[in-house]
Amino acid sequence: MAFGDIVLYINPFHLFMFVTMLVFTFLIAIGRTETQVEAELGTLDDKTKKVDLKEFKARRFLSIICGIATAGAMITGDLYNLTLFMSLIGILNIGIISSVKQVEVLDSVFQYGLIAMMCSLPLFGGAALILGACGTVSLLAIQSIKPTAMMIFGAILMFIGACGESGIAPFFASKAEMFRTPGSPFLLIVHLSSLFIIIRVIEVLLIICT
Amino acid sequence: MYNLMADILINVCLAFLFGSLLLGLHRKVMARVQLRPGPPLIQYLLHSLKFFFKESSWPKTISKPFYIAITVILCAIWVTGIIVGPVLKGSLMIIFGIYAVHKIVEHNSGSSSGSPYGKLSCVRAVFSASSELLLFASVALLYLITHTMDIGAIITYQQVHGPLIYKAPLLALMFFMIIVTKAPYSPFSITTGKDIISGFETEHFGFLRGYIMLSESIMWYVLLWLFLTIFFGPISLLWIFIGMIIITIITGFISAITPMLNPNHSVMSQLSIALICAIGTIIPIMI
Repeated sequence: MAFGDIVLYINPFHLFMFVTMLVFTFLIAIGRTETQVEAELGTLDDKTKKVDLKEFKARRFLSIICGIATAGAMITGDLYNLTLFMSLIGILNIGIISSVKQVEVLDSVFQYGLIAMMCSLPLFGGAALILGACGTVSLLAIQSIKPTAMMIFGAILMFIGACGESGIAPFFASKAEMFRTPGSPFLLIVHLSSLFIIIRVIEVLLIICT
Repeated sequence: MYNLMADILINVCLAFLFGSLLLGLHRKVMARVQLRPGPPLIQYLLHSLKFFFKESSWPKTISKPFYIAITVILCAIWVTGIIVGPVLKGSLMIIFGIYAVHKIVEHNSGSSSGSPYGKLSCVRAVFSASSELLLFASVALLYLITHTMDIGAIITYQQVHGPLIYKAPLLALMFFMIIVTKAPYSPFSITTGKDIISGFETEHFGFLRGYIMLSESIMWYVLLWLFLTIFFGPISLLWIFIGMIIITIITGFISAITPMLNPNHSVMSQLSIALICAIGTIIPIMI
């Protein structure tokens, strides 16, 4: 094979997810942020929160990279690439939010960062176990291999890792708090990448376990 | 000669018209349970059409182009849902992806307006996605029984083995919970709760609101069609319509007699139901 074990693995489902990611990434690239209006305590006035230019540039750059990484995760047919994309998305999500200057949001992203970091062990460990059990990380090849106990164990570890990296339940408590900051397009990519990764992982787990 | 484009157009129009009438019926049932006369059945349809002719306005706090594009995306994904579902009977995974994008729309439609009510809805959308996607994973668990994610193949499977509602009642319950969640005024509809005005829809006026209402009626039709098709097998269009009416009446009753849960209770209830049903389905398959 020209690129070793790296294979493209595309069907209409992957194409739909890939195109959707590219559409959102394009919108982020051309989009502006909103002005968040909040009630002022003790008075009848409102206060507004905006994203300043320096923060905007940094977060937009990271968001676009995150969009591209998620699009890559949607079409890769290589299990190891998928785990790499997942951990990259986790790191980028932390970066996108950690540029803000709200203490409670930074606390939340710190906790998410800890979970994402810890979950990279089961994520890569699971992928390594599957590689050891199958002798390949190509999803096309794994599809034709009958599942063994070690493959299923590796898949469970991978699922735990993906849950942590994407911050879904039961880890959502820390991640939801990250969305209390302005910067709508950047929050979108954090949420979108997590949901799409989980759906892709469910598909991959079905391939491994059946 | 089969014309795919005509098939798509007919199905989209049917989904919009029948979906709107079903949502009108839902509102009527709620009203009658609460001893009110309620609006006429066609009220939702009239509302949807009305918004396309009303003046549109743009709050000065919005994030462009997301504030506008997100409603178009919502419409586009549910039209895709019609194409993948009733027209082509394609992959359930694409419908899963469409549902995920719907959650993104709830999230971004709220946050892109700059409104505090939209913002709260945006945060709630993140909470609810964690449990709603697990409920929607019931379609992935179907794979363990049917060994296919193709809706057409699932229909064929049921022709041979009988309706899946008997084989996997807990998966049907999981999917039904999604329908209950997406029903207006349901105990789980925390993103559009009246405590936050209309949540992510609060700041969308004019034709943008029209797009949202049009998409919601198509979404309702697609979800009910999916439920009936993947759990009851090959049934005629007439029975599908009757089934949709019955489910809408049931969800109307549920919405009328239950208060809306707070976000944490809503998520934990859905999560508990999802886990119990998923484990209850997987264990018999493994044994």
